[in-house]
Amino acid sequence: MFGSLKAGDKGKIIDISHVGHLVQRRLLDLGITEGSEVCVKCVMPFGGPIMIESCGQCVGIRRREAVQIEVERI
Amino acid sequence: MIASVLIGAAIFGYAIWHFVKFINKSKKGKCAACELKNSCSSQCGIPPKVK
Amino acid sequence: MEIALIGNPNTGKTSLFNNLTGSYEYVGNWSGVTVEKKVGVFKNNIGHLIDLPGVYTLNPLSKDEGVVTSFFLNESVDRLLNILDASQLERNLHLTLQLLEFEKPALIGLNMIDVANKRGIHIDASKLSEVLGVPVVPVVARSGKGCDKLVDVIATKSIQPTKKNLVYYGKEVEEAITLLTAKISGKTNHSARFLAIQYFEGNDYVKDYVNSIADAEKLEAITANLELQLQKLYESKSLANFIYLKRKEVIESIVADVARKSNSDIPLSEKIDSIVTNRYVGMPIFLLLMYLMFMLTFDWLGTPLSDGLDALLTGPVTVGFEKVLTAINASEFIHALIINGLVAGVGGVLVFVPQIFILFFFISLLEDSGYMARVALVMDRIMESVGLNGKAFIPMMIGFGCNVPGIMAARTIETPRERLLTILLTPLMSCSARLPVYALFVGAFFAGNKAFVVLSLYVLGIVVALILAKIFSSTILKSETSLFVIELPPYRLPQFQSLWRSTWDKGKGFVRKAGTFIFAGSVFIWLLSYAGPNGLNVDMDHSYLAAIGNAIAPIFAPIGFSTWQASASLITGFLAKEAIISTMNIIYFVPNDASLQGLLADYYTPLAAYSFMVFILLYIPCLATVATIYKETTSKKWTAFSMIYAFAIAYVLSLIIYQGGRLLGFV
Ligand SMILES: Nc1nc2c(ncn2[C@@H]2O[C@H](COP(=O)(O)OP(=O)(O)OP(=O)(O)O)[C@@H](O)[C@H]2O)c(=O)[nH]1
Ligand SMILES: [Mg+2]
Repeated sequence: MFGSLKAGDKGKIIDISHVGHLVQRRLLDLGITEGSEVCVKCVMPFGGPIMIESCGQCVGIRRREAVQIEVERI
Repeated sequence: MIASVLIGAAIFGYAIWHFVKFINKSKKGKCAACELKNSCSSQCGIPPKVK
Repeated sequence: MEIALIGNPNTGKTSLFNNLTGSYEYVGNWSGVTVEKKVGVFKNNIGHLIDLPGVYTLNPLSKDEGVVTSFFLNESVDRLLNILDASQLERNLHLTLQLLEFEKPALIGLNMIDVANKRGIHIDASKLSEVLGVPVVPVVARSGKGCDKLVDVIATKSIQPTKKNLVYYGKEVEEAITLLTAKISGKTNHSARFLAIQYFEGNDYVKDYVNSIADAEKLEAITANLELQLQKLYESKSLANFIYLKRKEVIESIVADVARKSNSDIPLSEKIDSIVTNRYVGMPIFLLLMYLMFMLTFDWLGTPLSDGLDALLTGPVTVGFEKVLTAINASEFIHALIINGLVAGVGGVLVFVPQIFILFFFISLLEDSGYMARVALVMDRIMESVGLNGKAFIPMMIGFGCNVPGIMAARTIETPRERLLTILLTPLMSCSARLPVYALFVGAFFAGNKAFVVLSLYVLGIVVALILAKIFSSTILKSETSLFVIELPPYRLPQFQSLWRSTWDKGKGFVRKAGTFIFAGSVFIWLLSYAGPNGLNVDMDHSYLAAIGNAIAPIFAPIGFSTWQASASLITGFLAKEAIISTMNIIYFVPNDASLQGLLADYYTPLAAYSFMVFILLYIPCLATVATIYKETTSKKWTAFSMIYAFAIAYVLSLIIYQGGRLLGFV
């Protein structure tokens, strides 16, 4: 689960289908989908968004959506 | 005296011209204020379908 | 010849556009800077270049992306110039493959070679060109390297793509494409294959277009059938996803072919990021930077410069004019027109040019460095709690320069409700035209802590916007959907030259306005103050202007400024906020050395002055902003609403501040 990852952790996305389809589309546009390797860069306080990196590209997404993404730690 | 009349006419002429121009421009919004307005052929903005 | 620039957001399309056309369009280091189509002429006159908003695919989500798709469908273009970010090749190629399916002459500008090299990515351009079947020219749009070559290729080569059907989508999809193509071929000028694939991907613009030329039900049946087949055979999630994966396969093999990776050091970007988006210090750093900006603008640097300029204008310049006027024996009317009207009105605004430029410099720095998107990220939590998302903060920050581009920038916000909300609230951001009012009043009343008082006004604007966002989103603009995914570009060290360019470009507008509209306005305001029911050269208190001001002045008595002078300047402020200052300079004109600042103390108490500034901050969007709101919302109702609520909130707040302050014993 993304929720359990901390800043600096790396993971591989295994299921993204529970996320709202608009967010899914946007992430897909940015090249983030099932099979992508991501790295959590930082986590904002008070349940704020998190910043992840994939293929040298940093993306900010909300915590709410992040916890719906299934990742496997690597 | 003639100088006064000339200066007065010039100032008022310039002022009226720019005043009218400004109001027209502002009313049209972004487009007319755009740098490229002479060469720009876009209809500025609103695509046919706004979702 | 018409050439369209297409590419992912933030890949340097506009930078290249500026380079090739010699114009200056808005460049910034975040995604979604360009939100509308812009046309320019090539420097060497070989044709028109069209700059478009950045898109990831041709299937749009937000309105700025829709501009591109409808451009594709409705307008003819001779050549497509696809800009790729060399450091993000894989992501960029998704769009390229779609463009090539469009089967129009195309060429590729491989941009940001410098960035890619720094990251240890080396791309073989000639090999890429061979694989894709179109010319590929490496460029660095920022410095102009390679641009000449690019123009050569555009102008000379025939660049019909040499390869067709780069992507094979598998037997089932290809069969369906053939079926659909048969239904529409001959009825359109566009590539039928392109339309078919976009249709399968669920592109609504294309769907509408195709449905208008063919039988919607039959097309629907083909799609449904295909989807079912794919599900059965490959357990694919959706047709769109299937197509995406097919493209991805092709891209992976292309990239493996053309790109070489070597080791590189950790980008500076990440080090900076660990500080500015740090959990604890992110927010304080933002506020600190704002504070620094205001100290520089209003205290350390801006004020001394403005004072110097003021001394120059009221001293030597006025004396010079007087001399010339006496020499040519000008009439008293002309004398008063020039000295009391123009020098006071136009000069009074020009005095603030240094401060405006400093502010613009900071805004440009914010835009060009990559910090903008980080602020949006840091702000998202707060924005979310009021029913908006962090991206809405970008239009608001642009609004600090001028509200009009701020409102345009709201196009990048995907959900219509959040976009409307952002459009309505952006005018509460204190634009640069309101700055002279603050500068004047803080100089007169709050000399001890100028920057702090002005900062409080800017923050007040933001806070009011957030509170109203909460109110609106829980009453008139209710909806659940909210979307926040933001691309965070790498930091780029802004080049001095481009910083200066964009500062100048923004500041130029202010100076030009002073010479045109403010000039015109000053003439009329002066005339109204010079003439009255009893003839010319009346005492100003009996002029037409006083009569107009007096008519509405009583409304403002409860909030601390019932003079006709205040009312008159508020009226002119609707046309342009700078006009407030020039009106005041004309009304309070004093022939001797006594400055306007000193004089104001006779008319305002400090408390009334603060109330006045708050009122100016909020009271009504200027004419150009109102027109833009109308254009962007295409709704008279919302446009009227934006004016009325602003006035109401301004009045209520000023009332609270003035009456509350009096109760507490301030004066
Ligand atoms: N290092 C480097 N930076 C570049 C290059 N080209 C553009 N930039 C920078 O990249 C950023 C984005 O440039 P823009 O021209 O605004 O990009 P755009 O493609 O028009 O972006 P959108 O309008 O948002 O789609 C700016 O900060 C540029 O200074 C380049 O070749 N090298
Ligand atoms: Mg652009």
